Amino acid sequence: MLKATLRSFLAHKGRLLLSALAVVLSVAFVAGSLIFSDTVTRTFDRLFASTAADVTVEPKDDLNSNVPSGAVQTVPATLAGRVARVDGVASAHADVSVENITVVDRDHKSVGPTTGAPTIATDWYVTHRSPVKLTSGHAPQGAGQAMLDADTADKKHVKIGDTLTVMAQPGSFDVEIVGIATFTTTNPGAALVFLDPAVAATELLGSAGKATSISVDAAPGVSDAVLKDRVSAALGSGPYDVKTADEQAKSSAASLGGFLDVIKYVMLGFAGIAVLVGVFLIVNTFSMLIAQRTRELGLLRALGADRRQVRRSVLTEAVLLGLVGSTLGLAAGIGLAAGLIKLMSAFGMNLKTTEMVVGWGTPVAAYVVGVGVTFVAAYLPARRAATVSPMAALADADIAGVGRPLKVRAIVGAVVGALGAAALLGCVTASKTASAASFLGLGVVLTLIATVIAGPLLVRPVIRVLGGAFPALFGPVGRMSQRNALRNPRRTGATAAALMVGLALVGGMSVASASMSKSFDEQIDRTLGADFVIQNANFTPFSQEVTDAVRATDGVGLVVRQRFAPLAVRLPDGKRVETTASGYGDRLDDVAHVTYAQGDSAAALADGAIGMDVDFAKDHGVKLGSVLPVEFPGDRTTSLKVGALTDQDASEGFGMEGGLFLGMGTVEKYVPDGQDSALYVNAAPGTGPEQLRPRLEKTLDAYPQVQVRDQADYKKLVHDQIAVLLYLVYALLGLAIVIAVLGVVNTLALSVVERTREIGLLRAIGLGRRQLRRMIRLESVVIAVFGAVLGLALGLVWGVCIQQVLALQGMKALAVPWGTIVAVVIGSAVVGVVAALLPALRASRMNVLAAIAHE
Amino acid sequence: MSTAALSTPDGIAARAHGLTKAYGSGETTVLALDSVDVSIARGRFTAVMGPSGSGKSTLMHCLAGLDTVSAGQVWLGDTEITGLKERELTRLRRDRIGFMFQSFNLIPTLNAAENITLPMDIAGRKPDEKWLDQVVDALGLRERLGHRPSQLSGGQQQRVACARALVSRPELIFADEPTGNLDSRAGLEVLAFLRQAVDELGQTVVMVTHDPSAAAHSDLVLFLADGRIVDEMERPTADAVLERMKRFDVGRASVADGAPEED
Repeated sequence: MLKATLRSFLAHKGRLLLSALAVVLSVAFVAGSLIFSDTVTRTFDRLFASTAADVTVEPKDDLNSNVPSGAVQTVPATLAGRVARVDGVASAHADVSVENITVVDRDHKSVGPTTGAPTIATDWYVTHRSPVKLTSGHAPQGAGQAMLDADTADKKHVKIGDTLTVMAQPGSFDVEIVGIATFTTTNPGAALVFLDPAVAATELLGSAGKATSISVDAAPGVSDAVLKDRVSAALGSGPYDVKTADEQAKSSAASLGGFLDVIKYVMLGFAGIAVLVGVFLIVNTFSMLIAQRTRELGLLRALGADRRQVRRSVLTEAVLLGLVGSTLGLAAGIGLAAGLIKLMSAFGMNLKTTEMVVGWGTPVAAYVVGVGVTFVAAYLPARRAATVSPMAALADADIAGVGRPLKVRAIVGAVVGALGAAALLGCVTASKTASAASFLGLGVVLTLIATVIAGPLLVRPVIRVLGGAFPALFGPVGRMSQRNALRNPRRTGATAAALMVGLALVGGMSVASASMSKSFDEQIDRTLGADFVIQNANFTPFSQEVTDAVRATDGVGLVVRQRFAPLAVRLPDGKRVETTASGYGDRLDDVAHVTYAQGDSAAALADGAIGMDVDFAKDHGVKLGSVLPVEFPGDRTTSLKVGALTDQDASEGFGMEGGLFLGMGTVEKYVPDGQDSALYVNAAPGTGPEQLRPRLEKTLDAYPQVQVRDQADYKKLVHDQIAVLLYLVYALLGLAIVIAVLGVVNTLALSVVERTREIGLLRAIGLGRRQLRRMIRLESVVIAVFGAVLGLALGLVWGVCIQQVLALQGMKALAVPWGTIVAVVIGSAVVGVVAALLPALRASRMNVLAAIAHE
Repeated sequence: MSTAALSTPDGIAARAHGLTKAYGSGETTVLALDSVDVSIARGRFTAVMGPSGSGKSTLMHCLAGLDTVSAGQVWLGDTEITGLKERELTRLRRDRIGFMFQSFNLIPTLNAAENITLPMDIAGRKPDEKWLDQVVDALGLRERLGHRPSQLSGGQQQRVACARALVSRPELIFADEPTGNLDSRAGLEVLAFLRQAVDELGQTVVMVTHDPSAAAHSDLVLFLADGRIVDEMERPTADAVLERMKRFDVGRASVADGAPEED
């Protein structure tokens, strides 16, 4: 029996090729993502482990420090002296390292990375842990000199002797590049500027007495842990975090981890789509192969093979396919990881492909996914194979599986569909985001399953309509292609399902993103009253000079500043909420239209006051006039009185729970040395915005870190940010389409083989090659468009439900991107044409006589 | 060999001169047709008979433009079809030739009426409604026009195939073992229709068969053996054909029978 199985596997290897390709793709993405993340993790672990001091003393990290307030948390530089006296400390150094700077060249072009990685300015202090070494020029001496890392110098064409401007929080200063330092470890993608330690603190932090951390070297024989305990004891209960090298490396890795996790999850998303769509392909291939081999299986049964043996034979074939596919997929995954690593280098993160890490988990995962998916997908067809009766060997086997009733599918599909619809209904009617989102997830999964199950039932009605015009348009060729698509609804349904899954996702996400864009547009129209907003695309803060320069620009009337402030607020219901508040300058009402439930801007922005969202207030028992204890970074605490409650849509966006806002005075008092994140600018009376704009642009020429935007530009900025989400979805769609095309090719190719005699007959009675190709192409198109229509219909339903969830977050507009949807339908027709290329060519090349005589 | 007695230039539906079909090359060459000269008379029912491997199906395929020839020339009416391009041959089959095969004659997704008019639909021509009605009624298919092939009996299917072959009024109808898959009653019906097509509708039919009683319905039987036309018989009877066929069996033992065959 095993021999027969192997023979059969080899005999059908051509027909299994496309299934194998689906397995290869899924496994490649799984393996690629694992190898990539292992490699990156290993590289950075090594980097952080080698660069972390034995013990590090940092300002206490008690509030969300990722908030772009522009303020740098510091420790007194004198702390180094105190720490140095601790028993077991060999040396202690006060580090200065900041990221809240912008460095520009003579032409006012930023020399920082364009990838969102930071530009870091730090003091040049050589230890055995330094990630760089001086490779040309000399170390910076005194103010006005600096060193640059070699990669940045290379990329931005900076040479020794060039002058750069560093815009730091205390102020801008020019430096001459006197040396170039080259990374000895992996360059994590940042731009590094080194200053003389003697001036670094003054220039970057505004005071020689400040440092951003203290690095401590242990004396020989003193362990990191012991030293940490001694340092902690010496510092008492000061607002400091003391970490060993290990802990420091871990926390550095964790802060980088978020970014790497995104890549990993995106890759796994691709793998998931590939697996999901691949399953359809494999199920379909095995079903077709078994249908074609009914007589052969019947003969095996007649010769005495029992059902289990037949089933096992088919499953063995599946496992073989899985093994071959996984092996190739693993190889492809290594290639994919290498490609990603190269891509990261293009972004400035110089990983080395030679240091690729293939952990033991990677091949295990590859084979589990590859073989597992194939086995599971082949199980149903294998069971069906086992039910072939010995009589099938004798009967003149028609194309099997055509007439089998779809009653079970109808019932199961209807039940699952009803459950899914109920879940989606629950989502639409839910009033809490969390429950709506879980209803949505459940509904999406159930309706997807229901559509896949019931797909074959929809083939007849939908394709009757879709292909209805074919006979009129394309004559008998059109009629035959439409009927061919209807011939085996199960097969057509399964083939189209692959495309359906991908397009349903796209449909849903495009409705969601269009609705988000529209909601933001409406919100911007409603709330933004300023002529211009000056900020950057990442909402990161910029230096004070920008604000001063804007204020000094001729024709500028009002400038209202915005800052972010991390804080924790203790609420009357006992909850402590850590969030980010916005600080605004006076006259907010002149640049924004804020709707208040109670109070007004003046009351909210007054000294010692705070404003918040009315719903948040209600949820936590806050009333107008409540006095709330508030903590700011660096153990600064105060009590703020609630001066106003706002009634805004989407006041809780961007992780800013509670919609808290307060006056700029309060922010400057409790988050000192912060930077502005946005400037709302109105033209002075007598100056038109159109006159002001070129002047502002001229002013900002010197500050590449910010741009000036009017309402339309601001909307575009928001759209672009939403588009990033959409690109990801389109990439997923691309993969789903590739696999779906494989599926359509597969189905058509097997159908052509099955219909060899029919094709021979058609050719004999005078059907031209071109007409034959058109017949197959039209069948392919109708299958693809069927999948698209089903998928988009499902996606639209999902999209409307997603929008309902967004509406709970204040994004109340619903927009359906009909343009995209029409484009996708047209695109799916093109996909059909492409998928039919090879099968049609093959059919038209068939020898007429051989085809007629074909058994 | 020729059937010169019957041939006036406009009385010839198709003819071949020196028609040779070889399979393989070098020492393994097998001649399926060995320099055959043949003329098919217009308006007559010609049967082609011969033992397995005699080349009778190959002859039909070459005359019908389904197969290429190794040497020689073939004419359909005044058109030399040897040397025609693939696309021209397809047109020729579509517009000027009707086909009936042993089995699998119909497209399963099309109903009887659609199958009958398929060649004309492919050509984009409108069938002659009167003629279509006449053919449909003659074959007794009126009640079956809306049925799919799977809903028809074997005999009915062959009648639909017959109607398809007739409806475009081709110059020549080729029938390859049209009764091979039918029981004797249904077979007789089909043969009677072919006879009727010749006698009443003025069609020209060439039928390949190995069944002497089927051949007896024809006007002229051509006997093939080893790729040559070895004999012919006018106004055949089943018994006479059977007797003639038996003589082949005697001689067969010494003949290499390796030519690819139709069955």
